Amino acid sequence: MNINESKNYCILSNSINKVLLDKFAYYPTIGKMNYSDLLSKLEFFSSKRVVFNETFYYLKNSEKKEILDLLNKQNIKYIIITSNVEEVLLANYLIVFDKENIVVEGETKEVLKEEKLLKRLGFGLPFVVDLSLSLEFYDILDKIYYDTSSLVGELWN
Amino acid sequence: MELDGKIIGIISNDYEEKDYSGKIVEEIITYKISEALKMVKLDEAIKNELFDNLSSRDKNKVILASHLHDKEIRLVNFSKGMIKKDLEYFSTLFKRIANYGRKIILVDKNMEMFINCVDHIYIIEDEKIVYETKNIFDNILVKYIDVPKIVEFINNSSKNGIRLDYYTELDELLKAIYRIKS
Repeated sequence: MNINESKNYCILSNSINKVLLDKFAYYPTIGKMNYSDLLSKLEFFSSKRVVFNETFYYLKNSEKKEILDLLNKQNIKYIIITSNVEEVLLANYLIVFDKENIVVEGETKEVLKEEKLLKRLGFGLPFVVDLSLSLEFYDILDKIYYDTSSLVGELWN
Repeated sequence: MELDGKIIGIISNDYEEKDYSGKIVEEIITYKISEALKMVKLDEAIKNELFDNLSSRDKNKVILASHLHDKEIRLVNFSKGMIKKDLEYFSTLFKRIANYGRKIILVDKNMEMFINCVDHIYIIEDEKIVYETKNIFDNILVKYIDVPKIVEFINNSSKNGIRLDYYTELDELLKAIYRIKS
């Protein structure tokens, strides 16, 4: 698998097992870890890329943001492996796996245009994107929003 | 600890995830394995697989399958590895199981698992109940966990002076927004 060293990735998969994880074995991988331990570990991280194997499942959104801000400051790139479609918005490049096979990949916002495919595979869309798309269809919005605050601001202000 | 409800949601770090490392699936599911696997949407072929080699999604399905006949089914971080479609399916399954008089306790990090499913939510810290509510829209919950995205949207709208009912389905919310905007 070709990883572009300048990009942050999200791997969306319905089967996060050894076969999938082996594809990223070249990079240091972090699994289950609480927020404070994770923060300490990443403060003095020697590698230029890190893989989060379902690590974000255990974190609150504010904690995920802190972690990613810390990585960005240190110019460390990341790969988030998750089954949760809401987390795809945390990276600018998305690869979607159905079992061991890549079904679609590209810039996250482009891949999210594959609404039918993502819903057929059972992942669905992030809530804010799903709602935006529907509101765009009914001419209430004229573009897609990727965070709730912006969507709420545009709708009600 | 006495907990009210048929399907209970718990937010807590006190509980450990089950680990059956070193066991194969048919050693874990000891009662009516074929029926149990079917109910959790797993293929029969998984019977001979080592638990360690399964995805987190399948591990959680196996754990559920092994407890399907328990009077009280407790699942810790069941939503880990699950995709949106799974959450909908298991939410329906849990309601069916609860209707047979069983209690389901979901200790989970993902509140999307609770929506349209649990009837009582507890926050437990150091084995003590620190808060309880029957309302997934309860603003206090935000202090402890990220609320479901639809709840976050409705709560944010409320802060902007727009009172939306407590919708838990996107279609209902959409209709409500359409009514207000048109």
